[in-house]
Formats: sequence, structure tokens, C-alpha cells
Amino acid sequence: MIHPPGGTGWLVWLEGTPLAVAMRQWLWLYPTVEIAHILGFVILVGAAVMFDLRLLGVSRSLPVTDMARHHLRWARLALLLVVPSGLSMFAAHATEMSANPAFQVKLALIAVAGLNAAVFHRGVFHSVARWDRQVRVPAPARLAAVLSLLCWAGVIACGRLLAYL
Amino acid sequence: MRRRQMVGLGMGLSLLLLSATLVAAHHGWSSYDSNTVLTLTGTIRESGYEHPHGFIRLQVPEKTWLVVLAPPSRMENRGLPREMLKPGVAASVVGYPHRSEKDEVRAERITIGGKTVELR
Repeated sequence: MIHPPGGTGWLVWLEGTPLAVAMRQWLWLYPTVEIAHILGFVILVGAAVMFDLRLLGVSRSLPVTDMARHHLRWARLALLLVVPSGLSMFAAHATEMSANPAFQVKLALIAVAGLNAAVFHRGVFHSVARWDRQVRVPAPARLAAVLSLLCWAGVIACGRLLAYL
Repeated sequence: MRRRQMVGLGMGLSLLLLSATLVAAHHGWSSYDSNTVLTLTGTIRESGYEHPHGFIRLQVPEKTWLVVLAPPSRMENRGLPREMLKPGVAASVVGYPHRSEKDEVRAERITIGGKTVELR
């Protein structure tokens, strides 16, 4: 390998798994997995952004409940593309990635985005019937939308910067 | 009001992305000093035909350089298959030294057995 593996045991082990070796050595596997990752997060982040913009007051005639059913379902399904592809790319360069500051920030932002979504669904979303359409969405929901937009923009930026840091 | 919110949001996001892209690079071309062009001729001691970039360790009279090449799929497409990068083979590369790693160079092109392949 270009940089000899060093660091935590399980990361070194992960880099030596057949999957990780194939990711590095097979000519077209890595780019194929990258494409799957991009397709997945386009759907995930695209759906999240559309939903967030609705919470911030764009297209108030669209019912929030309908948008949640449609967009958030696709966002969750997209995880089936995003997570396995992301884990495969991580395995290929596990020791290098985990030491990369962009990767650490990216993971933290994903955690915040997930927590933010969980808090939104367990909290303010229960009263959605009162702000489903045409009215201003309550402040906690708008805050969740802003946080979500910032987190996902940051996740994409960090993901791209992995290659440059 | 809604329009102002949107503009503010857009500006915030652009700022975040801009500040992120200003951070220095690692394997990207900007990590290498393109004002210093090195021509290194020596013997391949080790090679890796792997993602994201292939590499060779090239022994020249003074020392051994880590020469970062292109993604393997690109090298294959340009006629530089894995078999050409065998240890023991003589190679010549034109490239730029890394700004901080003193033994690392990024190759613009490589010549092996009279065949030159562009890597950028």
C-alpha cells in the first residue's frame, strides 16, 4: 500500500479483509462503489433538502405530512445505497481515513443530522396536524430544518475533502 | 421576508462550502510544487496498482522516491497495465515534489521501455 498501515488493530484488520483488498485492487470496483455512494446521497440529501425547505416556508400549499411520507421514505431507502458503499470505501483505507480530520468531522456531522431527525420526529412533528399546510411551521421545526441543511452541506463538503486532506 | 430567508440561507451555505475548499490538499495536484519539475530515472523497487492512486517506489542513485501515479483504471486505459510496473524494471518519471513530504513526487508522465504514458 502507498502508506503502510499503522494504528488501531481492528482498522489494520479491516484493511486486510478481502473486500478492502478488492476495493483497492479491482480496476472498476472502487469507481462503481463511488458512483453508488453518490447516487445514494443525491437521493438522501436531495429529499432532506426539499423537506427542509418546505419547513422553512417554501411551497406552503404542499402538506408537510405528504412530503414526509414521500421524501423521508426515499431518504431512508437511499441509506441502502449510501451505507454499504461508504463502509466499503472506508474499509479500503481504514487507517488513513480514520486519521483524516475531514472524515472525523463528517462522522460527527452525520451523527448530529441523525440526532436532529430523531428529535424532530419524536418532538415537534407530533403536532404536524396543526401546521400541515398554509401556515407558518413552529420554530423548533424550522430550527431542525436549518440544522439539517447545514449538517448535510457539511457532510458533502467533508466527504469531498477526504481526498484533499 | 421569505425571500430574505432564502438569500440568507444560500449565502450561509456558500460560505460554509467556500471555507471548506480553502483547506490545503494532500494527494491533489495542489499539494505538489509544479514550479519544480523533477526528472527521476531509476529502478522500480515496489509498485502498487491500487485505488485511489497507483504508485511506485523508484530507486535513483541518491535515494528512493515514492512516486504517486494515476488511478489504476486510467493507467490501464492509457496503456500502462499492472505488468509494466514490476520491481526491477527501469523507469523514468517527470513530476513535481510534494510540498511537505520530502521523498514524495507526483508524476505527470512515466516512461518505461521507451513507452511514455501521460498520467494527468
